[in-house]
Amino acid sequence: MITQSHLYTPSLMKPSHRLRTCVRSTILGVCCTLLSVSGAFAADAEKRALPANVTFNEHIRPLLTTRCTACHGGVQQAGDVSFVYLESVLPPEGWIIEPGNPDASVLIERITSTDADTVMPPPEHGKPLSEYEVALFKKWIQDGVKWTNHWSFEVPKETSLPSVKQTDWPRQRIDHFVLSELERRELAPADDEAPHRWLRRVTLDLIGLPPTPEELETFLRDLEGAGNSEAAYERVVDRLLSSPRYGERWASVWLDQIRYADSKGLGLDGRRNAWKYRDWVINALNQDMPFDQFTIKQLAGDLLPDATIDDHVATAANRLTQSNEEGGTDDEEFRVAAVLDRVSTTFQTWQGLTIGCVQCHSHPYDPVTHEEYYQLVAFFNNTADCDLDEEWPVVKAPLDPNDSELATRLDREIAALRSEIWQKEFEQLQAPSSWKPLVNLTASTNNATKVKVESKETHDEFHTDGTVSQGTDFVLEAPLLGDVRKMTAIRVTAMPLDPERAVADSEWGFVWSEVKASLITPGQQTPQPVKIDRLIVDEPEPFHDPQESLNGKSNRGFSAYTRIHYPRQAALVFAEPIDVPEGTRLRVELKHRVISLGAFPLVTRRGHLAVSENEAFTQLVVGEEIKTQREQLSKLRGERNKIASTDIPVMRERPEHLSRPTHLFIRGLFLTKDKQVKANVPAIFAPLPSDEPVDRLAFAMWLVSAQNPLTARVTVNRLWARLFGIGLVATEEDFGSSGEPPSHPALLDDLAWRFHHQMGMSTKSLLRELVLSRTYRQSSRNRPDVAASDPANRWLARGPRQRLSAEEVRDMALSVSGLLSDKQFGPPVHPPIPEGVWRPFMAADKWDTPGTDNADRYRRSIYTYTKRSIPYPMFAAFDAPSREFCAPRRSPSNTPVQALMSLNDQTFVECSAGLSKRMKDAGSSIEDQIAYGFYLVTSRKPRGAEMQELLKLYHASTAATANDPATSSVGLAQIASLLLNLDESLTK
Amino acid sequence: MNKNLHIEAMGLQLQRQTRRNFLSAGAVGLGGIWLAGQASAAGSVKTVPKHAPGNPLSPLAPPLPAKAKRVIFLHMVGAPSQLELFDYKPDLLKLDGKDCPQEFLAGKRFAFIQGTPKMLGPQYPFKQHGESGTWVSDRLPEFSKQVDKVCFIKTMQTDQFNHGPAELMVHTGNSRMGSPSIGSWVTWGLGTENEDLPGFIVLFSGGRQPRAGQALWGAGMLPSIYQGVQCRSKGDPVLNISNPKEVSRDSRRALLDSLTRLNEQSYEDYGDPETLTRISQYEMAFRMQMAVPEAMDITKEPAHVLEMYGAKPGEESFANNCLLARRLAQQGVRYIQLFDWGWDSHGADKNEAINEGFKGKCSQIDRPMAALLKDLEEHGLLEDTLVVWSGEFGRTPMRENRGGTEMKFVGRDHNPSAFTMWMAGAGVKPGFTFGETDPIGYTAAENPVHLRDLHATLLHLLGFDPLGLSVSFQGLDQRLTGVLPSRIIHEILA
Repeated sequence: MITQSHLYTPSLMKPSHRLRTCVRSTILGVCCTLLSVSGAFAADAEKRALPANVTFNEHIRPLLTTRCTACHGGVQQAGDVSFVYLESVLPPEGWIIEPGNPDASVLIERITSTDADTVMPPPEHGKPLSEYEVALFKKWIQDGVKWTNHWSFEVPKETSLPSVKQTDWPRQRIDHFVLSELERRELAPADDEAPHRWLRRVTLDLIGLPPTPEELETFLRDLEGAGNSEAAYERVVDRLLSSPRYGERWASVWLDQIRYADSKGLGLDGRRNAWKYRDWVINALNQDMPFDQFTIKQLAGDLLPDATIDDHVATAANRLTQSNEEGGTDDEEFRVAAVLDRVSTTFQTWQGLTIGCVQCHSHPYDPVTHEEYYQLVAFFNNTADCDLDEEWPVVKAPLDPNDSELATRLDREIAALRSEIWQKEFEQLQAPSSWKPLVNLTASTNNATKVKVESKETHDEFHTDGTVSQGTDFVLEAPLLGDVRKMTAIRVTAMPLDPERAVADSEWGFVWSEVKASLITPGQQTPQPVKIDRLIVDEPEPFHDPQESLNGKSNRGFSAYTRIHYPRQAALVFAEPIDVPEGTRLRVELKHRVISLGAFPLVTRRGHLAVSENEAFTQLVVGEEIKTQREQLSKLRGERNKIASTDIPVMRERPEHLSRPTHLFIRGLFLTKDKQVKANVPAIFAPLPSDEPVDRLAFAMWLVSAQNPLTARVTVNRLWARLFGIGLVATEEDFGSSGEPPSHPALLDDLAWRFHHQMGMSTKSLLRELVLSRTYRQSSRNRPDVAASDPANRWLARGPRQRLSAEEVRDMALSVSGLLSDKQFGPPVHPPIPEGVWRPFMAADKWDTPGTDNADRYRRSIYTYTKRSIPYPMFAAFDAPSREFCAPRRSPSNTPVQALMSLNDQTFVECSAGLSKRMKDAGSSIEDQIAYGFYLVTSRKPRGAEMQELLKLYHASTAATANDPATSSVGLAQIASLLLNLDESLTK
Repeated sequence: MNKNLHIEAMGLQLQRQTRRNFLSAGAVGLGGIWLAGQASAAGSVKTVPKHAPGNPLSPLAPPLPAKAKRVIFLHMVGAPSQLELFDYKPDLLKLDGKDCPQEFLAGKRFAFIQGTPKMLGPQYPFKQHGESGTWVSDRLPEFSKQVDKVCFIKTMQTDQFNHGPAELMVHTGNSRMGSPSIGSWVTWGLGTENEDLPGFIVLFSGGRQPRAGQALWGAGMLPSIYQGVQCRSKGDPVLNISNPKEVSRDSRRALLDSLTRLNEQSYEDYGDPETLTRISQYEMAFRMQMAVPEAMDITKEPAHVLEMYGAKPGEESFANNCLLARRLAQQGVRYIQLFDWGWDSHGADKNEAINEGFKGKCSQIDRPMAALLKDLEEHGLLEDTLVVWSGEFGRTPMRENRGGTEMKFVGRDHNPSAFTMWMAGAGVKPGFTFGETDPIGYTAAENPVHLRDLHATLLHLLGFDPLGLSVSFQGLDQRLTGVLPSRIIHEILA
């Protein structure tokens, strides 16, 4: 007799689920091979004593992640067992663990089995668990199976200071945490760094430039003079944090996250006008805009009540996705790609989570399920942008920031008035009682496009049949039957060819390049044109002005540009009612002249006609109030146009009645859609407030709420990493279960909690504390006692030492050579670029380098034109990302190409010349000159041997060119070039 | 059978059908894939290259036995028509000018074709060549003589039908910018044999660079030292390789000597190992300044070699680049990438027409390709150099009808479902053709080969487990073959 449970156990499968599971595993199994399996926790486990407390996150989850979830995970749940979800493990639904009773738990039975057919993991998947690991599981089960979220999904809590022995060491709160860990590891902290070196480090870190000799001397004097040296340090930090250079340095960190570029990316990689956003970031950082505001404005500034132009400009953050202008590309495909990128970038940047993989299916270790991913997509899926070359929608950002206030006011007035007018029009257009649908329709075209007419319940409908040619004109005719004696408006409905399907899978849209109407009255051969005074349409803020359909010279007009989801309607309205004799036929002509991306004719595919006798339409043209409103609108627009502005792409929601639904994509492909979903946040997080609208604004506020466990942690970690070279969580991009745990968990949580609750999310407050800490102020000298055991300086037994970032390398050279321009903001600049690099796909895209007398040649690097397909060579060589996607951190390299850059590149040649000139002016003796140059680049005087080396080189260089007076400055230029290439110059 | 026995028998049966039994029984079906996937999860040879300290390009032995030591990849940018070069389709000729049957159009997306296009027969005559009897059109008379060295794949497929994304698919396995290119993976995994030259060199011809730009030879999430270095057959061969005009080689040497001594002092002061790396990178830059211009100088090649390629020093041409490819291969460069622009034969204008510009493009590559194969063989390099020739997708058997109308010039639209690629040299069967397209060359009839399979095969030939060459990034093991299944095309291996 075999009991039921006996039947279950051999394969760790419920028999009823076996077949289904097998099939699913077969299909999805392959993807799981990508699981990154880190064995870090399994190493040298054998000898360890069992911990007093077995905790889930520290002991059990790592085992599950590395040994189990590849098969029993989120995607693949072999035998319907998943170790990702608590409920599939524990009774009543789960059946493999009996809390409190290891011996009755199937899990223990299977991991301890000696039968190759039943042991888990199966031999071909890896070694059996060690005795220690089994013991951990047993104790965990014995203790009642406490299951907690992965550490980063628990909201950080207020932390108490750890105790330290060396109580006089800490200067700032963070020092207690660092010292406590050092003491635990029996490591001594380093001595304080020499003041001049701290100054150089902190100046580069906070403003991205080396200190000037004057700044250095002021600081050293201050230190000597003031009894309280701490105050001298603070004064430096406060000066740096209030420098306009601060925002220019930290903007590049943010722009890496938000994938800022001045070009569009795929296809032609044409120019994108987004620099006002870059300036917005610099300004926001300089003003120390709290990080929650900084977030909300970028993700949903357009939805803020009383949004300013700056708030709209901030939303360009999500318009920096790649778009594709290549001929013959599907706008919808690249629009969808951009939307998915917005979700990925947002999660990467604010949550330190990579959720892109969930696009195709749930991942074993991801806290976000497939369906939840598309719920997030829904927050971003209804913006008006759609991969258009024209970058619409845009906001007209005033070139002069002083005009912003006036422009904002005018824009608000214009928007309010336009909306009021449109509401009236739309109400009338929508009123079903207004319209008499037409039947007995005939339709013809001027070219190879075939058109058919079919009868519907209330009206006749025309639709194209087969290929649609470019330049198609429709002639639609129908008798005005029955009691129609007067006509005030004609309604033309333009529909997708397959209206049901198009809601989810939009079709190519249409543009009415011209629309005309005429009447054929009985007895007359030639149609009598009727003058259409105005188009009233169903879209409040269309890309093309619908009235252009009445202008024969323009190809634009009423449109679904470039995609159509729903039937679209326009009423052709007359200035006065038109008499209709009995037996009159109506003729409507639609011309289409626009072809999208050189391939897709934007032609109406289906539609029908109706007419109205309602004089309310006439009133919409001639009514006094609406006329006055239109005049006022045009006056306001005239005023607004006088403000010199530049078009910046922004986020804007489509109106509710034209909104795009969001569907799950089957295996991530936008052409195969599954069920529809509504916007929501993943269940592992705190929910959205139940009494607020669920939109991007709600999402942005949720992201920066105190209940969000990740935003503050990820943000403080990013700032920490830029100062210390490595984050408290080294995998800045991955706070999930496959990322690394924090080196100092309590410190991270303390910083995150205080950032949120005490610092008001002020980035400057946080940086101030970090750079004034004793931890940061340690000497960066690598000590023998930690060099080998802690090469990456995770335990912080010394100060940070890293190569300058790409931008800093160039800015440092410009600064010490006296060439750097302090001009802020404005369109991107084009500093010298090596010959032959600039070969854009579009030959018209020029790189015009200003002359040596023009400050734009020597601007801060942040202002350099950023083209995705042709990264600026110097930045690319020094590891700047090319900004196609969010780049959470840069991976540092050390290459010969870098050496060729800083030795031979035109900018460095000019910097060497500039530096040697400054040196020459600094003193009469060559020693003084060399010493000054050395001082400029390193913030210290050369030591004797160093001076000897440089003098030797100087004399050798001048001797070699002694007979040539034209090259008399060569010796000093040679020294200057060397100084710019010193390890100490290129390193902070 | 009594009831209890029956239950017992069922139990035994279930027991036998454990996961493993199920899999071995299902090895011919889907189970085979699962097993393969799982086995590689645990058993793939994970390659984490350990280069010499301070030298991230130091040469490494591949983790597995390798046939190829280096790669020369010839990319015809724009996608040459397989139907006018290698994929001979007499049946298509019979359909020439007829309306395309609807079954070929249902569910298909095209870049430019609208509605019902006309079929377009091969525009040039084909003949069989060599002992292998390979069909080649009359556009490539010189190359035709080399077909017995070449292995053709007629059934290449990709996911993308627009140039930018499709070019990225070919070189990075991902249709969007930001993943490491093949050359970056390979130089990361193997380093390079000649440390005075970049390990991964990119050369251009045809007057323009491909759309996707540097993303095609970018290092993605690998360190930037593994990105391709653009070299030019005209002008400064590598960016900033020349000293400023007032700096002589001797004075640069003197500067570097002093710099090294000062930086050694820096190392004394701070003990930062990066400082030592920096010193060695400056030395390497100095050596490159000699070695690169020398390697790129074809004027010293004998006249008959220049003649064989049709190379003319000082020009930017595919012929010069092919000759350079041989020279660089000879000097141990690991990955040599050529891009030749101008193959997008839509028929939208004369240059883009199959009956016009296409002819000129063919004559620009015919002799150089043939010469490259002969020359590599004569230098004994063909046995361990893999030459790959490809576009980013194929072209349609229908004539393009942009905007739904007949066009003045003859052209074909983009076709991701079938294109011809060829390989020659290290480890691939010479005089061999793999895969067959349907009678009109529209899609694979048998043995389809996805670009992922090509990537897997390439890595295999270079001595990697294609799933093992990976780097952890953003929670995933990133690899050239991506997340979908791929296979090594064993059928084409010698």
